[in-house]
Amino acid sequence: MGKHYRPAGKKKEGNAAKYVTRTQAIRLLQISLPLFRKLCILKGITPREPKKKFKGNDKTYYHVKDIAFLHHEPLLEMHRAIRVHERKIKKAEAKKNVERANRLREKTPKPKIDRIIRQRYPRFVDALGELDDCLTMVHLFATVPATKEKKIDVDLIHKCRKLAHEWQAFIARTHRLRKTFVSVKGIYYQAEVEGQTITWLTPHALQQVVPDDVDIPTMLNFLQIYQPLLGFVNFHLYHSINLKYPPLLDPELEAEAAEVYGLIRYAQSNNKPTILETSELVESEQLESKQDGPEIQNKKSELRLAQLQHQLPSNEPGALMHLVEKAAGEDGEEYDDETKQCKNLFQNVKIFLSREVPRESLHFVIPAFGGMVSWEGEKAPFAETDQSITHQIVDREAQGHRFLSREYVQPQWVFDCVNARIILPTENYMVGRIPPPHLSPFVDYGEEGSYVPDYAKTIKHLQAAARKEVLPLPGVEKDLEDPQNLLAEGIIDRAAANQAAKEKQKLMILEKQYHEDLKKELQGDTYTSAGSTEVIQTGESLNNGQANIDDVDMAELVMPNKKRKLLKAMEISNQRKQSKNDTIIRRKKKLDEAQNQRS
Amino acid sequence: MVELDNQKEEPIPSDYNEDSDDSDSTQHSDESDFEDSSADKDGDSSSGSSDSDSDSKSELEDGSPAQDNSGDSEDAESQDEDDVKSEGGSEGSDIHQEGVGGDESDSSEDEVAPRNTIGEVPLKWYEDEPHIGYDIKGKKIKKKEKEDKLGSFLANVDDSKNWRKIYDEYNDEVVELTKDEIKIVRKLMKNQAPHTDFDPYPTYVDWFKWDGAKHPLSNAPEPKRRFIPSKWEAKKVVQYVRAIRNGSITFDKPKEEDDAYLLWEDDSGLTEKANHLAYVPAPKQKLPGHDESYNPPLEYIPTQEEINSYQLMYEEDRPKFIPKRFTSMRSIPAYENAMKESFERCLDLYLCPRVRRKRLNIDPESLKPKLPNKKELKPYPITCYIEYKGHEGAVTSISVEASGQWMASGSSDGTVRVWEVETGRCLRRWEIGEAVNCVTWNPLPDIHILAVSVGQDVLLLNTGLGDEEEQQRIKELLLVDSPKASEETGKKAPSVSWLKDDKHDGIRLRHLKTVTSVEWHRKGDYFSTVMPAGESRSVLIHQLSKKLSQKLPFKLHGLAVRSTFHPSRSIFFICTKKTVRVYDLLKRKLIKTLYTGLKEASSIAVHPGGDNLIVGSKEGKLCWFDMDLSAKPYKTLKCHPKDINNVVFHRSYPLFASCSDDSTAYVFHGMVYSDLNQNPLIVPLEILRGHANSNGRGILDCKFHPRQPWLFTAGADKLIKLYCHY
Repeated sequence: MGKHYRPAGKKKEGNAAKYVTRTQAIRLLQISLPLFRKLCILKGITPREPKKKFKGNDKTYYHVKDIAFLHHEPLLEMHRAIRVHERKIKKAEAKKNVERANRLREKTPKPKIDRIIRQRYPRFVDALGELDDCLTMVHLFATVPATKEKKIDVDLIHKCRKLAHEWQAFIARTHRLRKTFVSVKGIYYQAEVEGQTITWLTPHALQQVVPDDVDIPTMLNFLQIYQPLLGFVNFHLYHSINLKYPPLLDPELEAEAAEVYGLIRYAQSNNKPTILETSELVESEQLESKQDGPEIQNKKSELRLAQLQHQLPSNEPGALMHLVEKAAGEDGEEYDDETKQCKNLFQNVKIFLSREVPRESLHFVIPAFGGMVSWEGEKAPFAETDQSITHQIVDREAQGHRFLSREYVQPQWVFDCVNARIILPTENYMVGRIPPPHLSPFVDYGEEGSYVPDYAKTIKHLQAAARKEVLPLPGVEKDLEDPQNLLAEGIIDRAAANQAAKEKQKLMILEKQYHEDLKKELQGDTYTSAGSTEVIQTGESLNNGQANIDDVDMAELVMPNKKRKLLKAMEISNQRKQSKNDTIIRRKKKLDEAQNQRS
Repeated sequence: MVELDNQKEEPIPSDYNEDSDDSDSTQHSDESDFEDSSADKDGDSSSGSSDSDSDSKSELEDGSPAQDNSGDSEDAESQDEDDVKSEGGSEGSDIHQEGVGGDESDSSEDEVAPRNTIGEVPLKWYEDEPHIGYDIKGKKIKKKEKEDKLGSFLANVDDSKNWRKIYDEYNDEVVELTKDEIKIVRKLMKNQAPHTDFDPYPTYVDWFKWDGAKHPLSNAPEPKRRFIPSKWEAKKVVQYVRAIRNGSITFDKPKEEDDAYLLWEDDSGLTEKANHLAYVPAPKQKLPGHDESYNPPLEYIPTQEEINSYQLMYEEDRPKFIPKRFTSMRSIPAYENAMKESFERCLDLYLCPRVRRKRLNIDPESLKPKLPNKKELKPYPITCYIEYKGHEGAVTSISVEASGQWMASGSSDGTVRVWEVETGRCLRRWEIGEAVNCVTWNPLPDIHILAVSVGQDVLLLNTGLGDEEEQQRIKELLLVDSPKASEETGKKAPSVSWLKDDKHDGIRLRHLKTVTSVEWHRKGDYFSTVMPAGESRSVLIHQLSKKLSQKLPFKLHGLAVRSTFHPSRSIFFICTKKTVRVYDLLKRKLIKTLYTGLKEASSIAVHPGGDNLIVGSKEGKLCWFDMDLSAKPYKTLKCHPKDINNVVFHRSYPLFASCSDDSTAYVFHGMVYSDLNQNPLIVPLEILRGHANSNGRGILDCKFHPRQPWLFTAGADKLIKLYCHY
């Protein structure tokens, strides 16, 4: 009789009734493993961890209900139909009936994903909450080369690109972008949409290599759900700001690889079907609008602007964008404070991009923070010679011809400004200089004992100065002008802190020593008295030291095992963190020393 | 064409003209088919050919005059012919080809002067002759000397061009084919036009200009049918229309574009996920820190030494990402692991079971339970007050007399001592001669009897304390009739024999196996002994007044370790290695079994209230049982790193203590409330240190003072210590 003997006719109980292994599941569903995996990906079904793994630790377990959920899935039938269809195509091909094969191929049933998306994300907020992976994947596939042997389709990549650009255009238009970070892996963006923080990673605009150890079909399965998901999300978002979806793109801009810009412009012009109304009508509407509430006025003004856009010659879209911005500001779309802050960051900044800078990301970031951007190209809103340009983004070793009216900065300046939410001084970002370190905006310095890089401190000073609308403190200002001074002061600060800490430690040591002395004294007495078995009276106060030490251990004694283990784990993790921090501080110290020796 | 023939014939010497023609024809019949076809094809190809034609080619086209001619005339002739070709175009060449049907294609002819003129006669005729024929002037052409086979073979082997050499029997010479010729041969083998420049599908040039023509080619008027709709087509259309109406012809539906639409139209009403199972959203990916920046602060970049040291680490510990610094954005390369990381994330998303874990973002200190202030729980033993010195071996056991005035101790040096508690004076000393396992005072204050277990014996000693009346009673109690003992020996299997011990003036109970512990009943008449190796007789209960011993009428499951009596009722506890079994002695049945969950219990103590008990174990754990609550420990305290040797309750104060081989004794506050709803309160109070470790053993026994909150500890370092509350 086996260990888990169950008499015939008796129902399974416990975990064995609730879970099935993967093999059991596949057998139940009568499908192949790849198809099972695909269905799991599409339906978002993951293995579960039963309390007791009744078939062994090496198995994967699924919940019976999950499998039942798959069992009733129309997609399953659909895939069976597809398989039958594929067999037909194969047969036609074998008979050299090309026409029939092609016709059949065209008529292959296509699974519909919208129902599944609705099922997985019943609310729009749910979909937004899990958009991170979707965005990252879509952005990645927008840069992957289409290859036949890996079955990466060109259309797929174009679609990914399109979706990514639409998303970016929406974010830029509504100024939802919050943080950006240029890392080695790519550029991270963080946006806030309907209260959901969405972070995604876009690879650098370079050719991606598809390694052999990556299973592309799996990723394509994911894309199969991610692509429509992003499409629906985009539709919803565009719908929410009264824009038609899918947006129409200016083919010239598309050809110039400035899709994002084109889309943003499209979004801003708010192209409505009523665009072709006569100007007289507009006037009458304007008259009406004076009596109407602010809401209607809002719409009207947008409309007017849209029409203006059509009437204006196309070489002045920059000015128009400005108008749109102003209009939006006047009628006060319901922006929260942060969005307003983001929107106005680059309000008075006009930026021109040189050829060599990563245009795609800057086209996205600068308008998202209310800036105007142009580039070298035919459809660019303004030319390089425009006198009102305030900044030119340059990423080369030296700039030959310079306009005096503008500043030549490296692209990092934009990203740093965005993260700091202030316009940073440009001295350190000048052409030819090594820019100051680019810091991650995702690091939380709030935690006690975490290491704060020098530049983060500088930025904090600047932010404080900007907030109070007072000029930065002379010290800070000086710091900014001379990074070496900054370092020096950092050292002084550190030195002072170190000294204070040392003094504290000394005091502690003294105190400890005192206590130990007392204890020793006490013990010594007992030893001396041991021989004659004398009675020693001990003072209560003397014992306090030891009592304190014991106190800590005492509490641990009473703790339940679970909590004690948790405590231990926490201590270990804290230690690890601390050691990481310590290495950084040690390196910093070394660097500072080296700097000092040089100077 | 006529002109061409004339031109050709002009320079030819008339003498051998006819002759040569003959020979040509005969020769041709001898040649293989493939040569013939080549000639034909070549003729075709000439339509596209131009001046650049090679000599051989021209010969192929019209061989008859060439054969007859000397080299010079031939050249001229071929040139002429080319001219004609360029003039005449394709048609001319066709005709020309017909005329030259019987061609002879032998490229070597122009190279060598003497030509065989024998014509198309079988060569057999000349087999025996020294010559092979006659040249153009009628002279005999001598046969060349034949090389022997070996010589020719060797020559062939050395000659890299051997493969393109052909022996011409007719002229008795070896002909080497040129590259062009070989190309032609190859093309012929493939059934292609032999000439490389020949284009089989030339673009058609329409020489007739239609657009400028005044008149149509045909003068016939446009037929009427061109202006009338076709009747047949109309019929066919009607047929189709009917078929469509009938439904016998169906159309493919237009391809559906899976465009986006407003999927979440009304989701305000929804609050719950439709999926009935608890849905765990995938955890978000970790956000990057400064170290992942393309231009991190310098201190984030590890030095080369540090990077090297990573190689020494375990693979799991090794940092997966090593920060790098690029001085400008243009120098950032593509990230090579982008696809891989994305793929790994995908795997995580669909292959990993998701479990919702609470991430505790709290101070670890807050995990520790808040203990009540120790000052409020006073008094409890804190400091060492007296040390009792005198034993020469580890003190294995101590016991305090009921009044609290005396304390007895047994040691491994084979002595039992009685101390005065308050002064530390050693009152009496017995030399037992064997290591003492356990000493216990009789719990009655007027019976000063000490039970000592030594090896297989239990000694009941008269300590000689108390007044004379009491002494009298004790002596009566300790009187053993030897015949009685012998009577008992007569019975089968005497487990214990009561003997008189003259040396120490007491009783010696001889057991079968080593006795580890002795425990008195509260009334002082009964006591129990435990011999772990005694199997069914491992726990015995003895009656002092009747000098009787009896084994427990219960079956024991497991190895008995300790036994103890209930402080107020007739209940008996036996602690085995894993369980505590509780028996009712009056009803003679098992009340309950307590499962400790320990590997090996070592000691047991019962709360004076009787409902709670503690069990100490060899793995250093202390279990508190609330017997009303459950058969499992109410609380398990892991306090000692080493074996617990003894646990003990205080008789009146809410205190209990444990002592262990790690040379520490813990004092706990253990309050039991009379309210049944309130669980006992356990608070660790004090760690008592002071004993030294010897041979891996620390404190072997501890006992509370019966009235004061004092704790006695017996150490393996030969000392007994008294810890007091002030």
